[in-house]
Amino acid sequence: MIHDAQMDYYGTRLATCSSDRSVKIFDVRNGGQILIADLRGHEGPVWQVAWAHPMYGNILASCSYDRKVIIWREENGTWEKSHEHAGHDSSVNSVCWAPHDYGLILACGSSDGAISLLTYTGEGQWEVKKINNAHTIGCNAVSWAPAVVPGSLIDQPSGQKPNYIKRFASGGCDNLIKLWKEEEDGQWKEEQKLEAHSDWVRDVAWAPSIGLPTSTIASCSQDGRVFIWTCDDASSNTWSPKLLHKFNDVVWHVSWSITANILAVSGGDNKVTLWKESVDGQWVCISDVNKGQGSVSASVTEGQQNEQ
Amino acid sequence: MEELDGEPTVTLIPGVNSKKNQMCFDWGPGEMLVCETSFNKKEKSEMVPSCPFIYIIRKDVDVYSQILRKLFNESHGIFLGLQRIDEELTGKSRKSVSILSAMELIWNLCEILFIEVAPAGPLLLHLLDWVRLHVCEVDSLSADVLGSENPSKHDSFWNLPGNTQTLTELELKWQHWHEECERYLQDSTFATSPHLESLLKIMLGDEAALLEQKELLSNWYHFLVTRLLYSNPTVKPIDLHYYAQSSLDLFLGGESSPEPLDNILLAAFEFDIHQVIKECSIALSNWWFVAHLTDLLDHCKLLQSHNLYFGSNMREFLLLEYASGLFAHPSLWQLGVDYFDYCPELGRVSLELHIERIPLNTEQKALKVLRVCEQRQMTEQVRSICKILAMKAVRNNRLGSALSWSIRAKDAAFATLVSDRFLRDYCERGCFSDLDLIDNLGPAMMLSDRLTFLGKYREFHRMYGEKRFADAASLLLSLMTSRIAPRSFWMTLLTDALPLLEQKQVIFSAEQTYELMRCLEDLTSRRPVHGESDTEQLQDDDIETTKVEMLRLSLARNLARAIIREGSLEGS
Repeated sequence: MIHDAQMDYYGTRLATCSSDRSVKIFDVRNGGQILIADLRGHEGPVWQVAWAHPMYGNILASCSYDRKVIIWREENGTWEKSHEHAGHDSSVNSVCWAPHDYGLILACGSSDGAISLLTYTGEGQWEVKKINNAHTIGCNAVSWAPAVVPGSLIDQPSGQKPNYIKRFASGGCDNLIKLWKEEEDGQWKEEQKLEAHSDWVRDVAWAPSIGLPTSTIASCSQDGRVFIWTCDDASSNTWSPKLLHKFNDVVWHVSWSITANILAVSGGDNKVTLWKESVDGQWVCISDVNKGQGSVSASVTEGQQNEQ
Repeated sequence: MEELDGEPTVTLIPGVNSKKNQMCFDWGPGEMLVCETSFNKKEKSEMVPSCPFIYIIRKDVDVYSQILRKLFNESHGIFLGLQRIDEELTGKSRKSVSILSAMELIWNLCEILFIEVAPAGPLLLHLLDWVRLHVCEVDSLSADVLGSENPSKHDSFWNLPGNTQTLTELELKWQHWHEECERYLQDSTFATSPHLESLLKIMLGDEAALLEQKELLSNWYHFLVTRLLYSNPTVKPIDLHYYAQSSLDLFLGGESSPEPLDNILLAAFEFDIHQVIKECSIALSNWWFVAHLTDLLDHCKLLQSHNLYFGSNMREFLLLEYASGLFAHPSLWQLGVDYFDYCPELGRVSLELHIERIPLNTEQKALKVLRVCEQRQMTEQVRSICKILAMKAVRNNRLGSALSWSIRAKDAAFATLVSDRFLRDYCERGCFSDLDLIDNLGPAMMLSDRLTFLGKYREFHRMYGEKRFADAASLLLSLMTSRIAPRSFWMTLLTDALPLLEQKQVIFSAEQTYELMRCLEDLTSRRPVHGESDTEQLQDDDIETTKVEMLRLSLARNLARAIIREGSLEGS
C-alpha cells in the first residue's frame, strides 16, 4: 500500500506515502524507526513525496489522486500543511523540487496532461505557472536538470543571482520524454522531444552533474525498456539513447545514486537492479535485489560488485 | 551488454509477498530503501494485502565495526604518507596492520612478489618467511627435518644472508647435496628405518612423501614452499606459477575446489596483478584492501609495467568507491575527504556531492565540514551549508547566529532578511539583541544595504549614548537622505529624531531641519492603505496622525531656533 518512500537529504528521515491517504515521516537515525508525523490532508491515494533542500527548512511535498499537491512544513517541531495547490483537473502523479540554487520551485506532473510549476515568493505565497498539454493523455514523471552556471563560476557579489538556465525533463503517456527550458521572459518552452519508447513513459531521472560537460537522463517505460540518454554538448542539442536493458515487464522507477555512478531500476520481474557504466561505455548489471518469500536469510547486505 | 564473469548476486528481501507486486526504492546517502507497493502491472488496485515493512539495504555493514574503524584510521595515515613521498617505499609498505589474516597473507605475498621483486635466490627465503609468519606449524616440521641428517651440511648451505655466494655457486652446492641424498636413498642406507627413509624422500622433494604429511601442512601454499625448498630452492620468480598451480591441484587432490583466497594467491604467483585486484574485489566485502593495494602498486609504477594502461584510472576508481563508502559513516567521512583529494579526475566533484549530505547535527561538525570546504575553495558548498545553518538559526530565533552564518556565506539576500528581522525585533521590543555582533561587523557590513543600515543605525544609538549629538544627528539624517534606510523605517527614524529636536541646544541646523521636514512630507503624502480591519486602521491612523503632528511641531520649533541661532552668529 505504500507507493513511495524517500529519504531526506541527510538520510536521517524517511517520508512515505500510501493508498490510505496518509503521509508518514520517520526518524531513521542509527537504524531506528520512530514515527515523527502522520500527515492527513489528501482525499485519495498519495502517489509521491519529495523533500526540499534543507536550506529552506524541513519541507515535504506530496501529490495525490485527489488532484491536489500539498506542501508540508515543520515549524517548532510539528509538521503542518503549509500550502495546497489544486490547479489540476486530474490525478497528480509526480512532484520534483528544483535544484536549491533556483529557489524553492516545485514541478508537478498530472494525468490531465499539464505540468505546473510552483515558485515560493515569500510570506507563504506561491506563484503558479502552468504548461498545458505538455503530454497528451497525461504526464507521469518530472525530473529537474542539475544546476549548472553557464560561463565562469566566479563569485557574484551583492546577492546577484547567476544566470541559471533552468531545465527539466518530463515523461508522459504519449510515449515521449520532453525537455523544457525557461526562457528569458519566464515562460517555459519545449526544447526537445526524445522518442524511443513504444508505450507510456513511467519515470525519468536526470543524473546529478559530475563536472563533465555531458548530461545524462534515464527513462523507463511500460514497454519494459530502460534507456540512457546522453548529450555531449553543454549547449545541448543532440541526445542519443542507449538501451540499458529490455525487461519482461513494466519498469516503474529509475533513480541515480548521489554521484551518479549507479542507476537503480525497479520493475520487471519484481526486482530492483543496480547498473553501472563500465570503462568502455557499456552498462553492466551489478546487483539484483529480489523479493523472497518468507525466507529469513539475513543476507541483505551481500550485494557484491563485479568489475569489468 | 557486457559478458560477466559471474552472475550478479541476488539479494532477497525477507518476508515480502511476491505476488507480482512492484517494489519501490530510493537512494539514501550510502544505502537504499526498498518497500513493496501495490502496483500491479497496469492496474493500480490495492486489493492485495502486502508487507508493511520498509527495508534498508546497505552494502558494507562491516564499515561500522570497531576493528575495521581502527584499520581504516591507521591505513589512512599510511595512505597520506604514500601520496606525499616520491621514491620507493619498501619501508612503509611493510607496515602490516594485522587484523584480518587473509588480507595480510595476500598483502605480504604481493609485497614479496611485486614490490620487493625478490630474485631467484632470496625468493624462496622470503616465501619461507611468509609461510612461517602465517603458519605456525612450519617450525615444528622444519625442526623435525633438520633434526637428524647432515645438519652441518644444512647449516653451511643455508648461510645465505650476507654471504658472497652467487646463484650458480648456490645451485652447484645444492645439486651436490641433492645427489648425495639420492645416493643414500638408492643405497638403501636407511632401509632399516622407514621413518628416516621417508624423511630422506621428503628432503629430495618427493611430492608423494610430502603429501603423506598432509596434516602437518595446513594448506597448499605451505606445501608449495616446502616442495620448492627441497626440489628447487633457486626457483626463479617466473617459474613460480607452474609450481603453484600443480601444488594446489596436488594438495586438493580433486576433493575440493579452490576457494576465492586460493584464486587470489594463484593470481599473485602468476604475477597477474590485474587478476589479483579483480579476485580481491569480488571476494572481499569492502573496498579497503583493494583500494590501498592498487594505490601502492600504482605508486611503485607497477600497474603500467604490467600492461595495465588504464591502471591509474583503476586506482582512482577503487579509491572513489572506498571513499564513498566512508562517507556513509558519521565520523569516518573525514578520512574519505583525503582520499577524494588524491583522485585527480573525479575526486573533487565527488567530494562536492558527498560533503553536502553530511548531517550537521552539531555546530562543531558543521564547522569541521565548512573548514574542509573552505580549504578547497568549494564556495558553492560553503554557501549552501551556511544557508542551511542560518535558516535553522532563524527558525530558532537565534538572529545573531543567523547573521554570522550569512556573513560567512557572503549571502547578501539572506543577510538582508536577517537584518530585517533584527530591525523588526527592535521595533517591537525597543532594544537590540546581539549587540556585540552588530557593533563589530566591520567591513562585513557592506555585504548588503540592509545590513549596512542595521550597522549604521546601531552606530547612531551608540553616538547618542555617548552624547555625540551632532554626529548622531548627521548620521540619522544621512540614513534617510542616502536612501539606505528602508522606507518602512523612516517613521521610526524620525521619531528617534524627536529627542534631538527637543534638546535645549540646537542640534539640527536649519538646512538639516528642512531636509527632515521634506522627508516627513514625503512619507506622509504617500501613505499606502493596508488591508487591516477598519477599527485597527482607524486606531493606527490616530496614532500615526498624532505622531506626525508632534513631529511637525518639533520640527517647526527647531527650525525657528535654528534660524535664530544661525542668524545671530552671522550677525555678530
